[in-house]
Amino acid sequence: MILAALRRSPKPLLAAAAAATFLAAWLPLLPVLPPLFDGQAFRDLAEPRLAGLFWRSLRLSAGSALIAVLIGLPQALLATRVAAPGRTLWKLLLPLPLLLPPLLLAQAWHGLTGMDGPLASLFALGVCYAPFPALLAARALERQSASAHEAALLCGGRRLALRRMLAVAWPATLLGGALAFLFASTDFAVPDYFAAVGDKFAVYPAEVFNAWRRADLNPDNAFASYAEGMAVAAPLVLLAAAVLLVALVVGDRHSAEDAGSGRAPGLLDPGSGRIPLAALGLGLAALLLLVPLGRIVFETGHAGPEAAGTWASRSQAAFGDAVERGREDLIRSVRTGALAGLLAMLVAPVWAHLLLRLGGGWRARLLQVALALPLLAPAVGVGLGTIIVFNRDLFWEFYDSMWLPPLVLAGRFLPVAVFLLLERLRRQPREQEEAAALAGASYGQRLFRFRIGPARGAWLLAGGLVAVFAVRELDLAILIPAANHSAAVRYFNALHFARDNFVAAFGLLIALVLFLPVMLANAFRRFSGPEEPQ
Amino acid sequence: MRSALAPALLLAALLPLSCTASDDPDLVVYCSLDQVHSERILELFEQRTGLVVQPQFDVERNKTVGMVNKIILEKDRPRADVYWNNEIAHTIRLKNAGLTQPYASPEAAGIPANFKDAEGHWTGFAARARVIMYLPELTDGAGGPPTRIEDLLLPELAANGGMAAPLTGTTLTHFSVLSQQQGSEAVLDWLARAKESGLHVGKGNADVMRRVSQDRDFGWCMTDTDDAAAARRNGHPVEVLYPDQEEGGKGTLLIPNTVCMIQGARHPDAAKRFIDFVLSAEVEELLANADSEQIPLRPGVPAPDHVKMPGRDFRAMEVDWEAAAIELQARQTDFQELFTE
Repeated sequence: MILAALRRSPKPLLAAAAAATFLAAWLPLLPVLPPLFDGQAFRDLAEPRLAGLFWRSLRLSAGSALIAVLIGLPQALLATRVAAPGRTLWKLLLPLPLLLPPLLLAQAWHGLTGMDGPLASLFALGVCYAPFPALLAARALERQSASAHEAALLCGGRRLALRRMLAVAWPATLLGGALAFLFASTDFAVPDYFAAVGDKFAVYPAEVFNAWRRADLNPDNAFASYAEGMAVAAPLVLLAAAVLLVALVVGDRHSAEDAGSGRAPGLLDPGSGRIPLAALGLGLAALLLLVPLGRIVFETGHAGPEAAGTWASRSQAAFGDAVERGREDLIRSVRTGALAGLLAMLVAPVWAHLLLRLGGGWRARLLQVALALPLLAPAVGVGLGTIIVFNRDLFWEFYDSMWLPPLVLAGRFLPVAVFLLLERLRRQPREQEEAAALAGASYGQRLFRFRIGPARGAWLLAGGLVAVFAVRELDLAILIPAANHSAAVRYFNALHFARDNFVAAFGLLIALVLFLPVMLANAFRRFSGPEEPQ
Repeated sequence: MRSALAPALLLAALLPLSCTASDDPDLVVYCSLDQVHSERILELFEQRTGLVVQPQFDVERNKTVGMVNKIILEKDRPRADVYWNNEIAHTIRLKNAGLTQPYASPEAAGIPANFKDAEGHWTGFAARARVIMYLPELTDGAGGPPTRIEDLLLPELAANGGMAAPLTGTTLTHFSVLSQQQGSEAVLDWLARAKESGLHVGKGNADVMRRVSQDRDFGWCMTDTDDAAAARRNGHPVEVLYPDQEEGGKGTLLIPNTVCMIQGARHPDAAKRFIDFVLSAEVEELLANADSEQIPLRPGVPAPDHVKMPGRDFRAMEVDWEAAAIELQARQTDFQELFTE
């Protein structure tokens, strides 16, 4: 009797998810929280230099998020709901910029156009993170209620149908924009690069790094050196949290407008606009991906006038070197990423479902902020917190083991998976799950079979994104012992030491390895047909 | 429920893979030198001794945030046995914080006294020089490159040159040395004037090197010999000038790699063997012949002709490294406030 009740109750799975999240996400953050509430950093913002840095970061991040939305939303529309040639290809290419290190794309843009300074940084970050709004909007558009779409077409033609589509995509796009803002606001490498190649400027994350660099080496109070960096980061953390919260609140308010239906919505026929729209899709793909990728390929063999060999021989050598030197690191990174993604795939559905059941309100908001905290805090802070928490006798073996990196990385990027799944689950009718509950199905069955089963595309995407971010993560990789031998560390190490051909070749190799699962998933979806009707 | 089984089964399948990868190493080395060079040295050590080494590498933008903070935070249960730093000031800071332990390696005997700690906590080897790299085609007819550091701001030269901001790495160490020797006010005033002089102040040495050699934005820059070597390796026709070599001049700053044993190292014997190995003439020769062209500190170590030797090809600056490391700690915030805006 008790066992049966437990099977039907969400509490056991919720407790397991909470335990996993505590270990992966909140425990390394425990030393972070007091410095974050120190308040001194907010008072320091009165200083003109720091205020200038903060507002520049705010403008850059907001501008990048806007560009990401302006690029991502049309891409999503073209890739999912407009009957224009090339749709399948645009859809396949949607996540690609996320798979490339942002710095590699920034270098490609500089190499192509000579752009530099804050505006170049704003543009490059916008392009890099455009897949966030694009992927989320694409998911929302694919789940639009077919009947609502048909009604809009009948009543107001293409114009009204398009407006309805934009209304459906809007909350997801906003959430994507908020994620783009979050990632852009903490990015240090891209602004640093564009400042290095042109007009010098700094961003607020540079001041956070400065705080760690100038840390007083007092071994009697090692925590002090750590706390200052976290305290300085507080305004940035608060800002990112506020932006994310606004996006989530808007998402809550508008998600009920379109809860999907049993059929997939039709494609919008643009009539005579097919060819111009296909050209727009091609133009966007070329501009955002193919041209920078071409430049990176060029960089694999590019050298000065006195370099030995031909472009082809240098490029071949660079790829050979990338495979030989980077292979094992890349395998380790992929394994770490896969584990992190799998952990997130197990835990995220439980949280997404709980948030769905809470349906908004302060409890849901509080939980969302708590889940987002590891992503909002600077990665260096999370890494140092990981050392403080796990470098103890109790965790002596675990600290060095290959399990710690995927655990902490899964915790850091878990909110991306939760928010993506939540956005998807909101667009599901709840009748199936309710019927299953009445039939006595266990909570696990209801969640994974009747909720996640029909949303397996979004579930895979959520795990995939966590895996990709885990592979790309640099700051944590330097600090966590078993993560140090990673593709990201090798890539950035070579970048600093001007191994330009190697860096380009290795960057392409990383992108290719990360892109393979996307292609395979796409092929799998073709063979297995669309997700189950709702 | 079937859907949830897939990741759960995959996790279970990956579990053995993850567990087997964490064999206890015989030696843990935290390393800030270029991974391509240092891992070859580490592999050679493994081949020679049969010991399993677990290296941990740093990245330039994280320098000191990475390895140094890690060593501090791990102090109660140290993981690193040896820290191989590609510069010197932070090693001395670690020593002053009580995080290193003395080991007087017999291999350090040939290394000049000013590049090793009197108490044996650290030893320098294989250095980089702070040089002026220039493209003759961009400096001929434009006043040439500066031959003294203080000439960097000359109106006829500054607009055609660049340097990295003294926020990290060797540039931070360089200006800490100058501040210790000339007084902080003079150096801070010089840096404030540098910002107004038209001199291009970049983020790092490799960045200004690229702007000269690759982008050709200006004709010369102050950088390190390994960055200049990278420019040449990438096929750019750059030249190198060792500054302050005039009669009575201070000489060129040499910044060595340093190696130290961490206090409480778990593998002290292996650590000593590694320190002996890395301080050997053989490793200095290997690093001189590598494409970063590190300069041997030990006289008589064979080096290629293009690697200039102190005392033979140029005069090196005399430095009180202990005082410079203290000065670095004192001046870092001033430099950050000047160059982070």
